[in-house]
Amino acid sequence: MCPRLPEGKTFQIIQSLLFNSLQIRYSRINGTCWQGQTQQFLQGVFKMEAMLTVEKLSGGYQRQRPVLHEISFSVNKHEIVGLIGLNGAGKSTTIKHILGLMEPHSGEVRIAGKTWSESGDAYRQSLAYIPEMPLLYEEMTLWEHLELTAMAYGLDENTFQTRAEELLKEFRMQKMKSWFPSHFSKGMRQKVMIMCAFLVQPDFYVADEPFVGLDPIGIKSFLDRMVEMKHQGCGILMSTHILATAEKYCDRFILLHEGRILLQGELSELREQAGMPGADLDEIYVQMTKEDDDGE
Amino acid sequence: MVNEKELWSKRRSDYWSMAIKYLRLIGNSGFLFTIYLLFVFGSYYYGQFLDWLPASFPATLFFTALLTWLTTRGRVRTFVKQGDLFFLSPRERKMSSYFRAAVFYSWLMETLYVSVVFLILAPLFLDRISPSGALLLAVLLLVSGLKLWNLAAGFEEQRIQDKHSYFFHTLIRAGLNGVALYALFSLQPVWFIGILAAVFIGLYAGYYRRLAAAHSLKWERLMRIEENTVMTFYRIANSFTDVPALQSKVRKRGWLSPLFRLATYRQQHVYRYLFSRAFVRSNDYFGIYLRLTLLGLLFIYVVRIDWGRWFIVALFAYMTALQLETLKQHYATAKMVELYPAGEKTKLASHQFWLIVLGLFQGMIFGLFAFLSINVADGFLVFGLTLIIYGYHLLIRLPKRYRAS
Repeated sequence: MCPRLPEGKTFQIIQSLLFNSLQIRYSRINGTCWQGQTQQFLQGVFKMEAMLTVEKLSGGYQRQRPVLHEISFSVNKHEIVGLIGLNGAGKSTTIKHILGLMEPHSGEVRIAGKTWSESGDAYRQSLAYIPEMPLLYEEMTLWEHLELTAMAYGLDENTFQTRAEELLKEFRMQKMKSWFPSHFSKGMRQKVMIMCAFLVQPDFYVADEPFVGLDPIGIKSFLDRMVEMKHQGCGILMSTHILATAEKYCDRFILLHEGRILLQGELSELREQAGMPGADLDEIYVQMTKEDDDGE
Repeated sequence: MVNEKELWSKRRSDYWSMAIKYLRLIGNSGFLFTIYLLFVFGSYYYGQFLDWLPASFPATLFFTALLTWLTTRGRVRTFVKQGDLFFLSPRERKMSSYFRAAVFYSWLMETLYVSVVFLILAPLFLDRISPSGALLLAVLLLVSGLKLWNLAAGFEEQRIQDKHSYFFHTLIRAGLNGVALYALFSLQPVWFIGILAAVFIGLYAGYYRRLAAAHSLKWERLMRIEENTVMTFYRIANSFTDVPALQSKVRKRGWLSPLFRLATYRQQHVYRYLFSRAFVRSNDYFGIYLRLTLLGLLFIYVVRIDWGRWFIVALFAYMTALQLETLKQHYATAKMVELYPAGEKTKLASHQFWLIVLGLFQGMIFGLFAFLSINVADGFLVFGLTLIIYGYHLLIRLPKRYRAS
C-alpha cells in the first residue's frame, strides 16, 4: 500500500535542491509507512552521511561503575539532534566521550568516520563545542578569545577578521571587544563560547545547554545560526532541558535515562514508541521518566 | 541549629589546617635560607645605615606615617564563605558572638604583624626617639590597643553601603590615627595620651555602635575582604609552591602589549599566545619577575664582595626562572585548550621561548647595571652568569618537568 519512492541519482539531485520541502514530505510518509525506520530510510534513500556515530558506547569515570550502558545513536549531516534527559542521566558524560576527553570502556565514537585515537587533531578539527558552563580565560579579552580560537583551528587571518566582526555584530558584543571576562554577565560569557564555536565553522557542533543565561536576541541569533549551519550540511548535537525549543528545532531526539537510551527518533516515532499519540515532547518526557520511578 | 561560637572555631581551625600545610612547604623550601642570607647582609648594613642617616632625619614623622598606614589598613577577618550570603545572612542579628571572635582574632594577628615591624625598627627607635626599651614596649602595647580600636571601628564602618562615605570614614580614621601616633612618638605626657584614649573609646561607643544598630552587615564586602586576605596568603605561598586555588585579579598592563607581538598569528603559536597573556596579566607572574629583578639590581649595587655579588645574581636568576616555571600549570585545568586541534606538542617549546626572552632581558638589565656600578668585565660576567642559569633551566630542568607530568 505504501507508495514507492523514486531512487537513484535523479532523485538525489531533486532532493538536494528541494531539501526542505522534501523533508516535510518524507516525514509525512514516514509517519504512515516507514515508522521506526527513519534512519535506515534516510541513509539508504537519501544517501545521508552520518557525521557522528556512537556505537555501543559504555563509559564513565570508573570501570566498575559505568555511567553509560552501551548506547548507540548517530547524528547525520543536515540534522539537529536533541539529547534530552533528567539531571544526571548521563548527557554530559556522553558529550565528554564525544569530545574525546574521556575514553570509552567499550564501544566507539566516530566523527566523520574516524575515532579520536585514530586521528587526534583531525578529529578535533572537525568539531566545535559549546559548554554548559562558559570556559573562558580570565586574562584574555573577548577579541583575544576569538583570535586564539581562530589560531588554534588554523583559520587564515582574513577569514578570521571578517567572521569575527560579523559575529560580534550579530551577538551585539562589538562594544565589549576589549573587555575581560570578569566584566561579563553569565549570558555574555555564554555568547563568547557560542561565537568561538561559530567562528571555526566545523562540520559538527556539540552544544551543551547553550541557552542558559542568554537573552532572547542571543537565543534567536544562536538558533538562526544553527539552522543555517544545518542547511550547509553540518551535524549538530544539542543537549537541553528547554523542550519547547528542542521540539521546534531538532529533527530527532535521544531520550537518555540513567545511562541508557529510553527512546530515540523523530517526534512521531517517540509518540509511537511511548504509545502517546498527539502528545508533545514535554508530556512524553515526563511520562517516560515517571514510569521508571513507579517501576522501582 | 548552628552554634556561632562553634562555627567560628571550626572555620578558624579549617583555615589553619590548610595554612599550616603551606607554611610547612615554605619552611622546607630553600627560600628560607635566602631570607636568612638577607638577614645576615641586612643586619650588617643596618648599623652602617643608622650611622649614615643624618641627624635631621624626621624619625617621629617617619614612625607616625608608617604606623598610621599599618593601623588604618587591615580589616576584620571573618572567614565568611560564599554560601553564608544565603544561609547565615538571615541570622545576622544573632551572630554578634561570631563577629566579636573575629575582631579578637584579627587583633591578635595584626598585633603580631605590628610587633614584627617594631622588631625591625627597634634599633632606629632606640637610636633616634628614646633609648628606653621599656618605653618601646609601652608604645607597642598602646599601638596594639589602637589597632584593636581600628578593627572594631572598621568593622562597623563596613556596614556603610555608599562607597564614598565608606572611603571618607576610613580617611577620618586615618587622620585620627595620625594624631594619636604623632602624640605617641613625640612622647607626649601620659595624661594627654589618657585623654586621647578616652576620646577614642567615647567615639566608638557614641558613634560606631550606632552605625551597627542602624545598618545591616554588608556580606558581599565581608566576603571580598576575606577573599583578599586568603589571596594574599596564597600569593605569598605561591612564591614557594603551586597553589591550585590561586585565581587572582587580572591586570591589563597595556604598556606591556608590545610583548604580544612575539606571538604572531600561527597555529603553532597557540601556547605562545596563551603564555604571553598569562605572564603579563594574571597571577602576578610579571609582578614577581619585576620584583625579583629589582631586588637583584639592589643587591648588585649594594654587595661589594665579588663572589657574594655573583652568587646573588645566580640566585636571583634562578629564583626568577623557578617562578616562570609555574606558567606550565597555568593552563593545566583549562578545558578548552584540550579541545584545540593544535597545542599540546608546542607547549614546551613555547614555554622555553618565553624563558629565553625573559632571561635575555633580565640578563641584559643585570649586566648593564653591573657594568655601570662596577666595571665592564663584571657586566659581561653577570650577563653570562644569568644566561647560564636560564640555559640550564630551559634546556635541562624544564623538559624534565614536562616529562614528569
